Amino acid sequence: MARLMFYVLLAMVLMTLDFRGRYVENFHALAGLAVEPFLLAVEAPFALAARLQENFSDRNVLLAERDELEQLLRESRARLLLMQELGRENAELRELLEASRVVDAEYQTAELRSIDLNPYSHRVVINRGSSHGVLTGQPVIDAAGVVGQVDRVLLYSATVILLSDPDHAMPVSVERTRVRTIAYGSGRTDELGLTDLPMNVDLEVGDVLMTSGLGGRFPAGLPVAEVTAIERPTGEAFAHARARPFASLDGARHLLILSLGSPDEHRAAEGDGVEPVEAGTETEARPEATENPADENPSDDDAASQGLSNANPVDPSRNEIDEARPQPTGSGEVI
Amino acid sequence: MSGHGQGGGLMVITLVLGFFLTLMPLPGVLEPMRPFWLALIVIYWNLEAGSLRHLGQVFLIGLLLDITTGTLLGQHALSLVIMMFLLERFRARLRFFPPWQQAAAIFALLVNDRVIQLWIFGLTGNDWPHWTWWLAPAVAVLVWPWMFLLFDRLRRRQRLQRS
Repeated sequence: MARLMFYVLLAMVLMTLDFRGRYVENFHALAGLAVEPFLLAVEAPFALAARLQENFSDRNVLLAERDELEQLLRESRARLLLMQELGRENAELRELLEASRVVDAEYQTAELRSIDLNPYSHRVVINRGSSHGVLTGQPVIDAAGVVGQVDRVLLYSATVILLSDPDHAMPVSVERTRVRTIAYGSGRTDELGLTDLPMNVDLEVGDVLMTSGLGGRFPAGLPVAEVTAIERPTGEAFAHARARPFASLDGARHLLILSLGSPDEHRAAEGDGVEPVEAGTETEARPEATENPADENPSDDDAASQGLSNANPVDPSRNEIDEARPQPTGSGEVI
Repeated sequence: MSGHGQGGGLMVITLVLGFFLTLMPLPGVLEPMRPFWLALIVIYWNLEAGSLRHLGQVFLIGLLLDITTGTLLGQHALSLVIMMFLLERFRARLRFFPPWQQAAAIFALLVNDRVIQLWIFGLTGNDWPHWTWWLAPAVAVLVWPWMFLLFDRLRRRQRLQRS
């Protein structure tokens, strides 16, 4: 009985430390590296099977698929040309406004490894790791929107923490009104929760949420989710909304890992953790949101900058996720 | 690691197989029904071969499982330790149960384990899982007799080869 108690307590202490992040991070990283060869070995037969299946798939089907993809590529190229023009124009305008330049996002492609982790760990394994230059905290997107961010980096693979992890919080802004808020994972792959909206917030079902770029981890303007429901419960301080992520968190196989330059350069440019890149968008967003009482409150600014420095991109691992939470509650007490 | 019981190499192989089955990709619908393979394997070696009888051993297996499947460090360790404790408590009786009663007991152990897991998932902020999640113990019990027969045969062959 005493031994049971000992092990139960040990397990609980470990879980708490792991849940709080940071404390057992080093152990986790080392153990992950040790376990990686096994993961690769587990994947090998399934990777082989997939390749064999590819080899034996019908030629006509492949040709049809190729034609379709070529068509798509042509269309995308044409659209890209227009975008490039816009991008150039935007850069010029920014220069005129003397706003800071947007960091050029580079990316590398990644594929999911054929390994099922526990569905409640809200993590997936990708086939890129530190040997490909992947770093903890890099944003990961698929063709439709943001998927999550790199959590643990192994040698030839990495785990990506999905937006749906209850521990994950990301700063977003509403595309239509530029209202900024934080989207929390709900524990379900088809839902995000916005739990700290002011009661009179201008938000409608169907509104698109984008990354706001606050925190410096995700570049601004990536599509994240679409609002599916808004509740304004009487007697509570905040309105709640639910949103459905654009990316298929449990289905996407092909992912892009974005890198916003090297994080060291980032830090040097930033000074003490204040993000200059997004400062421009920040101030632009302000006037539009003046009917928002929280915004008139000066302490909200403190809270926001607090959130910024907490979410310093150079911070290892999950600090952002953990510490982003207190911020909205802080401003809540003020209201 | 086998202690005073039998098993040794074969046990390690089956444990590795257990990890493999746990990480093996399954279609999304079947995913929640994946039986708790390592629990079944641990139960087998404990009941039938008398190895794996220390809480510390299953604690380590659980930790390894947590690392490989990305769950909270200690989550599976906790669930396996509790399972092992109950198993040891009733081991004398379980060993001489007729097979169907043994299967029923294992089903109860696995359901209990699901409750513990659910509790941890709940504490970490997860939603109530899909109802098929509760089918996993049933699937495990269906698998159990076959696994039992297979392991028994393997073990007998190993013993014959030795002698």
